[in-house]
Amino acid sequence: MLRGLERLSNGLEKATIALTVIGGLCLLGVVVVVTAGVVSRYVFGAPVLGVNEIVELTAVALVMSALPYCTARGDHVAVDVFDGMLGAWGRLLGDLLSRGIAVTILAILSYRAVLKALDALEWGDATNMLQMPLWPYYAILAVGTALCALVFAVQFLVLAAKGPRS
Amino acid sequence: KDLKLADFQPPSHFVVGSVYEPFKKSVETATNGEVTVTFYMGGELGPGPSEQYNRTVEGVTDIAFGLPGYTAANFPKTLLTELPGVIDAATGTDHILAHMDMLSDEYRRVALLGLWNNAPNLLLSASKPIRTLDDMKGMKIRVPSRNAGLVVAAWGATPVSMPAPDIYNAMQTGVIDGAMIDATALKAFKLAEVTKSVTQGMKTTISSFFLIMNRDSLADLTDEQQKAVMEAGKQAARNGHDAWESTAKTVLADFGSTDGKEVITLPAEEAAKFDAASAPVVERVISEADSSGIKASAFVKALKSN
Amino acid sequence: MTPVTVGLIGIACLFVLLIIRTPVAFAMLAVGFFGYWALEGSRSAGGVLLTESYSAVASYNLIIVPMFVLLGNISAVAGFSRGLYDAAFAWVGRFKGGLASASVLGCAVFAAVSGSSVATAVTLGRVALPEMRRLGYAPSLSTGAIAAGGTLGFLIPPSTGFVLYAILTEESIGRLFIAGILPGLLLTGLFIAAIWIVATLDPKAGPRGEPMALGERFRVLGEAAPLLAIIVISIGGIYAGVFTPVEASGVGAALVILLALARRRLTFSGLKEAVLNTLSTSAMLYMIVIGANVLNPFFAITRIPEALGDGLVALGLGAYGTLFVIILAYLVLGMFMDGLSMLVVTIPIVFPVIVGLGFDPIWFGVVAVIVIEMGMITPPVGLNVFVVRGVAGDVPLTTVFRGVLPFLVAMIVGLLLIIAIPGIALVLPNSMFG
Ligand code: NA
Ligand code: NA
Repeated sequence: MLRGLERLSNGLEKATIALTVIGGLCLLGVVVVVTAGVVSRYVFGAPVLGVNEIVELTAVALVMSALPYCTARGDHVAVDVFDGMLGAWGRLLGDLLSRGIAVTILAILSYRAVLKALDALEWGDATNMLQMPLWPYYAILAVGTALCALVFAVQFLVLAAKGPRS
Repeated sequence: KDLKLADFQPPSHFVVGSVYEPFKKSVETATNGEVTVTFYMGGELGPGPSEQYNRTVEGVTDIAFGLPGYTAANFPKTLLTELPGVIDAATGTDHILAHMDMLSDEYRRVALLGLWNNAPNLLLSASKPIRTLDDMKGMKIRVPSRNAGLVVAAWGATPVSMPAPDIYNAMQTGVIDGAMIDATALKAFKLAEVTKSVTQGMKTTISSFFLIMNRDSLADLTDEQQKAVMEAGKQAARNGHDAWESTAKTVLADFGSTDGKEVITLPAEEAAKFDAASAPVVERVISEADSSGIKASAFVKALKSN
Repeated sequence: MTPVTVGLIGIACLFVLLIIRTPVAFAMLAVGFFGYWALEGSRSAGGVLLTESYSAVASYNLIIVPMFVLLGNISAVAGFSRGLYDAAFAWVGRFKGGLASASVLGCAVFAAVSGSSVATAVTLGRVALPEMRRLGYAPSLSTGAIAAGGTLGFLIPPSTGFVLYAILTEESIGRLFIAGILPGLLLTGLFIAAIWIVATLDPKAGPRGEPMALGERFRVLGEAAPLLAIIVISIGGIYAGVFTPVEASGVGAALVILLALARRRLTFSGLKEAVLNTLSTSAMLYMIVIGANVLNPFFAITRIPEALGDGLVALGLGAYGTLFVIILAYLVLGMFMDGLSMLVVTIPIVFPVIVGLGFDPIWFGVVAVIVIEMGMITPPVGLNVFVVRGVAGDVPLTTVFRGVLPFLVAMIVGLLLIIAIPGIALVLPNSMFG
């Protein structure tokens, strides 16, 4: 049981790392676009209209493709002041409850993002200057939060299977 | 039933006294107090203008104040009103209200309570006064919308897009040389502090505001209550128009009478050069809108006719 | 149940969730979402969750965070940060806590110009924390200095805090900016004093280095030159009006990558490590911003800030009594709320009271901004503390909160000085504007 879960957990971790390739490209892409905007304004005297829109949408892809990876790495900040006071069982129950809550809220967010992506597709929502369609970015939001929820869910199962630890 | 009204402008803004208080009173009176209105100013329900439309669609708020220009893709027909010469700033709101039914296809995700036009946009300059069309050459000017960007480019300047609250720093540091925005912003965003001169007199873009309501929130009300809210919304549009127009006048007069600040009103022959440069842009935008199938010419003609 | 009751229950739940180690971002998300649900129903609550999550991420100004983090991470793998801190150590290492003081000065400059406390804490933190640890500094002192130093950006112009205050109160932005300068320098000085005291009480916290010959010091400074040059270009470029803070962060990141490549200090695996760390830190920070964005509308509809404001007016305590209670209320709200949201909700209530009592509106702007800065480092929700914890590696949050304590004391001292001698805030604007 535990071994199976750990295999699942490892597989999921690999998937989150694969996803960071997109995030990394977005990150370097934003650096290039913003720098190109400056260069174009000063060297060629022609500012690029809509750089802000490219940046905003790329930020969605960047953050959402990094979120499952961040979660798998356990990089979310939590308060550790009361660790000693909680005891082994307290910590376990707290960790399980926390993950349960996170999974619930991420699942709701993902579901609403799916609906919004469909809505945005139907109504042709787009940015102002460049008229880039918005639905793919709501879709990325849905995928990123869903994967993040999955990572938390597997962590929940692994923690539950391992039981309390001192 | 309490209706949340969300606005990103500060609680001290004149819109509260001149538009929202009368709106609230008229809704509450007409419904015998069964429907009430609570204001959430200053972005309490979420900051900034750009998400106001989505906040209404998704039901974060029941009613929102917003600018159609921030979600331009949803309002191509509404935004025709911002093109230079399509409406007159003084009578525009009445003309829009008279033809609001022609806009109904753009307001199916939310209910349109009221739509009114702002005072015309002016050219604010940080240092170099704009007296002729040639003065604009090479200037970096912040623009409020895509259409305004096309107009400013036609005048020979380079349009830069940025949100209104960022203009102060950008003009102070010289990232931009000026901004296209209405007179009330001189006070609301403190731009008078970093503006040396204001140029007016040419046909320019005119932004509009709207009050929109979540469809389900509206459907939760009885037929009479719905009617009361819609009526109050139309009155709010008229009040809004008058409030912005008179505030813009006062603010601009104050600015002009301040030491070292100048209001430049272009002489007719110079204004004509600006208008001649922007006219092809207006035509092009309308014909493009026509060819995408939104009956733009008919709407513009109706607005200009009465 | 009244909205205020629901709000108080919400705060209690937030406490419980934080105690049981729920990641801060998800604790805020959960309380904001379920609280909105309790008051407005599930459809509206889902709407808040979706629109605020999306708009928090799709933000032009926030992109400064990943780009400055990338700049810091590349500097770290390329060894530029090491060069910078070796130089700082050579020049100020023989003073007690000298590196921490130098970092606070670095924070003040960086924050002053970037205008973002979070960006400052994250960038300087990424560069400074590992280096200070390498040079023997206690994690509590180094993380505390960076978390507190980052908040200086709110006081030293340009500052989004002052812009918002000016718009809310119709005061002059220019005046407020000028008014923030001396208090900003005062706080910087007090922070350095706090570091000196900590390093005196505990010599191991900020150890002194051996004095170095002048020639050697200049040689080491040469090693720091590349990173210094990039910082000068991007920070100087903002002041010179060449570009906006976002553009500066992009250009800075691009330059540091190019420089690292040119000096053959950047391998593919180094780049990969820097990018992965940047992505993870960014996702963590954006989630906290999302959490705050979802929590704030909930607090707004509970009307708790208004209740607090009305309550204090009803107390009738006289001028300084009322001022004291207002500051106390701000500190309490600042424990949970994001500073800018707090200003929006409270200033309309508090401002007329303050002006009515005869206090100067510009001076109060300075006081309000300092109190908001304090909120960024007070537990349990202290944004800058989370940020520093996020880039500090394995330092426990408790250590960071312990580390900011001396700086909180310094801020209280600064606040009392500015209340006792309003001229600290007012002398510059009054002499410049009359
Ligand atoms: Na600043
Ligand atoms: Na706090």
